Formats: sequence, C-alpha cells, structure tokens
Amino acid sequence: LSVSLFQAKSCICHMCGAHLNRLHSCLYCVFFGCFTKKHIHEHAKTKRHNLAIDLLYGGIYCFMCQDYIYDKDMEQIAKEEQRKAWKLQAFTPTVVSHYQCTMTGIGEKYSTWEPTKRELELLRHNPKRRKITTNCTIGLRGLINLGNTCFMNCIVQALTHTPLLRDFFLSDRHKCEMQSPSSCLVCEMSTLFQEFYSGHRSPHIPYRLLHLVWTHARHLAGYEQQDAHEFLIAALDVLHRHCKGDDNGKKANNPNHCNCIIDQIFTGGLQSDVTCQVCHGVSTTIDPFWDISLDLPGSSTPFWPLSPGSDGNVVNGESHVSGTTTLTDCLRRFTRPEHLGSSAKIKCSGCHSYQESTKQLTMKKLPIVACFHLKRFEHSAKLRRKITTYVSFPLELDMTPFMASSKESRMNGQYQQPTDSLNNDNKYSLFAVVNHQGTLESGHYTSFIRQHKDQWFKCDDAIITKASIKDVLDSEGYLLFYHKQFLEYE
Amino acid sequence: ACKMNKDAQMRATINQKLIETGERERLKELLRAKLIECGWKDQLKAHCKDVIKEKGLEHVTVDDLVAEITPKGRALVPDSVKKELLQRIRTFLAQHASL
Repeated sequence: LSVSLFQAKSCICHMCGAHLNRLHSCLYCVFFGCFTKKHIHEHAKTKRHNLAIDLLYGGIYCFMCQDYIYDKDMEQIAKEEQRKAWKLQAFTPTVVSHYQCTMTGIGEKYSTWEPTKRELELLRHNPKRRKITTNCTIGLRGLINLGNTCFMNCIVQALTHTPLLRDFFLSDRHKCEMQSPSSCLVCEMSTLFQEFYSGHRSPHIPYRLLHLVWTHARHLAGYEQQDAHEFLIAALDVLHRHCKGDDNGKKANNPNHCNCIIDQIFTGGLQSDVTCQVCHGVSTTIDPFWDISLDLPGSSTPFWPLSPGSDGNVVNGESHVSGTTTLTDCLRRFTRPEHLGSSAKIKCSGCHSYQESTKQLTMKKLPIVACFHLKRFEHSAKLRRKITTYVSFPLELDMTPFMASSKESRMNGQYQQPTDSLNNDNKYSLFAVVNHQGTLESGHYTSFIRQHKDQWFKCDDAIITKASIKDVLDSEGYLLFYHKQFLEYE
Repeated sequence: ACKMNKDAQMRATINQKLIETGERERLKELLRAKLIECGWKDQLKAHCKDVIKEKGLEHVTVDDLVAEITPKGRALVPDSVKKELLQRIRTFLAQHASL
C-alpha cells in the first residue's frame, strides 16, 4: 500500500502533473514527463538528454533515433529487475480466468516464450510447419491389437490425450538417466507421443511398449485378458520409477517427495479421519493416491444410505431421475463417515484403550488429473461377476463437497454455498472414458477421448470414429478421467 | 471553463484514491485479463503485424504503430467489458463516499 501511495504522489509529469500520458523518465536527471503531450521531448531538446525510459513498460526511447531502441544488456537488466519486483509483491488479488496464472507473487513470473539461439537454428533447419485447425485430426491414431491388448490400448489413448502429459513429452522434457535407455518406459512414451502427433493416419503397432510393460510389470505379461485399471496403475508406477532423471534426484523412492511429471499430474492426497466414539479425538492420516476406486450399488457391500446433505448433487447439477446412480452418489458414499463396528475397535491415543470409532475419507489434495475407477469387477469369496449398473457421470465435475476443507467448514457450521464460483480450484472437465463390454472372463475395452475443444472420438483398437457427447455420457463407464479446469502456473 | 476545471479536479482526486488504495492496479489487471479472454489482444496484435508489413519493418516506429492502433483499439473494446469496469468503479466510489 505504501508503494501505491508513493506512486500516486511522485509518478507525475513535472510539467503538467498528469500521470496517464505515457509517462517517461529521463535517464540523465530526475525528470518525469508526458510522452503524449511531448513534455519529455521538450526536456530532451532543451537539456540535450537524449535517452528516456517508459515508466510503464520499461522501453528505452532515443530522441535522436526518434524511436524505441532495443539493447541486449538493457533487456537483461530489465528482466532481472522485473523478476525481483515480482517476488516482492506480498499478495496481489487474483483475477481468475482461463489464461492468467493466479498471481500470488510466488514462483516465477509468467513470461512469454522466447526462442534460444539453438532453437532458432533448429527452426531454420526444419522449415516444415504444421497448422492446427479446428477440425484437424492431429493426435488421433489407432492402435493395433496384438492379442487381447485392448486393455493397454485404451489406457494409451487416455494418456496420449492428457493435455499436460502431452505438453511434457512434446516439449522433450524427459532426460533419460536409465542404464539402458531402450528399457526406459518414459522414453517409449515419448516415442509414442511422437507417433501419435506425427500426422500418420495408419494405426500404430505398440509392440515395444507391450514388451516393456511385460518386462517391468511381470504380472501383466502374457496374452490373457487383463484389467485396464491394473494396467493404468502399473504403467503410472513404472513411469514414475523411470522418471529419475527429471529433477527429482535421489528422492524417487519416496512417493511423498517425488516431483516427477507423473506425480505432478496424477498424485492426490486422501485424508482418513478416525474418530473415537468415546472421547471424540480424531486421528488423521494422509495417503497419496493415483485413482479413486468407487463401490457401486449391486455389489455385495451395501451402497445406500449415503452421507447426509445433498451438496454433491446440487453442485453438479444432477437430479435423481428414477433412481439412476450418479458419480457424485458414488463419491458421497466414498466420503461417508463409516462406523467401524465393535469387532474393529481402534486403539485411541486419547482414551489409551480400544474403542469403537468412525472413519471418514475426504480429499486433502486434488490431483490435476483425477481418475475414477468404478468397481465393476467383483472378486469376492462368493462370486466373480461384472456389475453392469449404469452410473451417470457429468462432463463437468466440482469436487468441492468431497474436500477435507469442506468437511471442516460443515462441522464448524459454516454455510456451504452450492455454487461457489470463486472456488475454481476444484472444478474438473471430463476428457477420457474407458469402457468394457462383455463378461468378467471375456470382454473388450474401448475408450472415448476428447481430442480438440469439444470433439470426442471413440477408440476401438485400430478404429477411430467420431463420437457425440451423448455417446460418451450414455456409455457404461469403467474408468473416468477428469482434468482440472483451472491450473496454477508454477 | 469553471465547470471543466471542477471535472478535471474530481477526476484527479478519484484517480489519486484509486492509486492509493491499489484499486487502480486491480482494475488494470481485471481489464488486462478480460481483453485477452475476448480476443482483443490477438486482434490488435494481428493489426500491428499488418501495419508493419505495409510500412516495412525498417521504416515503422513505435509512434506510427501507436497512432495506427489506438483508435482501432478503443473501438474494439467490447461493451460488456466497458460495463463491467464501470460497475467496479461505481462500487468503489460508493465505498469511498467521503470523496
């Protein structure tokens, strides 16, 4: 605030007192003058001080050349000073929009990309440019089924259409530090992205990817039918392990400290609160997660009743149409307080004895990409079957009601606004859906992916067809991939 | 002439208050974001490129560009953006009624 005051009082033209007319400062003496009214020009002429700086943008004006000049050294200094000034800002109110970063004065100030000498060289030597129009099919490519490998193909489609992952690989950010790069799954992913965005329309044959998966995730080897969800987790795990070179050093083994691209995108924090029913003391743990597995009605574990309050449904604009289960129903069930029963007493540190307690799960930290796994494959002692209950899921999802912070404010009696438009941090958009057709023993995986703005495509191994949003939302849904709508720039 | 001075003085006072409270910076950032969102920035950038192509890179000065794009820039600001900014300023003035 003191800076603003100082600015108000001293940043004015020395001749007319105005401050809005492209104020410039003389570089030879202490003089501020309007550019528009030519006051700085007069000063330059009479005093023969031929250099001035624009106080708004930092451009240097030369009165002899009668134009702004660009000096490399001055630009370097300007950049440095801007960076320093940025860090000094304690707090700037945020204006949340799709393109702006949330400005809190932390991290680096956003600056537009400028090519380095090397990049200019590369651009000159490779003159071919690809133009992306609204209806181009870039990024779409079929995958040959190598023998029941549809479980892998559908996940590959989802991953190659995860925007942040795509940006990471297409800008060549992976630095391989494996002993033999040919066994690095991250390198193979990089190649895969190159293949997908190459513009080739023939289906890709992912034999190298399959071989690497078999090598690093033995339980998935062989040509039997596998679970796409298991493949997703195994793939993320191997990618995370192989990301050693990408600025996370020796901490790769600790999931809580890793900063690899997989963790940056997929890792969230799940909070588990165990409340002692006697002393009401709460024991909290937070575990990292890559996906949320949701029970469905029709399984052997009871689905209803859900936790009190209909926040979830109101926020996500769903209405109960003749008993259709929704994704938010499943999330409400997932985050409901669960009485653990007299046979599962927990040792309470407050009571110093075993007591009955309730347990509740909430989201502590949301990942950038949230993957929901609808548990359709029942493998209980009694039966093995597929649950085909239709679960409706939205295009846009607000995770606010399921956050740990929301639970806290509910408990403190704070009124939760159902349409909290300022809380953009918890809003997600659907971008991929993996579906399974058939039975537990024999079935086929396909996926829907969002390619470009609102274009959806169905990926059935080698065959890619255009799909409507209705096709996507009417599908059964097995794995649902959501992407955060608003990203903080880091 | 007397009324003009009063208006100018009022404007200066309001401006002073806007700067002192930091509201001017906030309004600028809001405006900046809005103009990017609605594509205004891109439109003007394209226009600049056209002017440069016309006049030739070696002959055009910043002043030339400013002269060319200022009227266009002013005209291209969407009404909705103008309305929103005005509303913000009105709210601000209501809060600082001592003026």
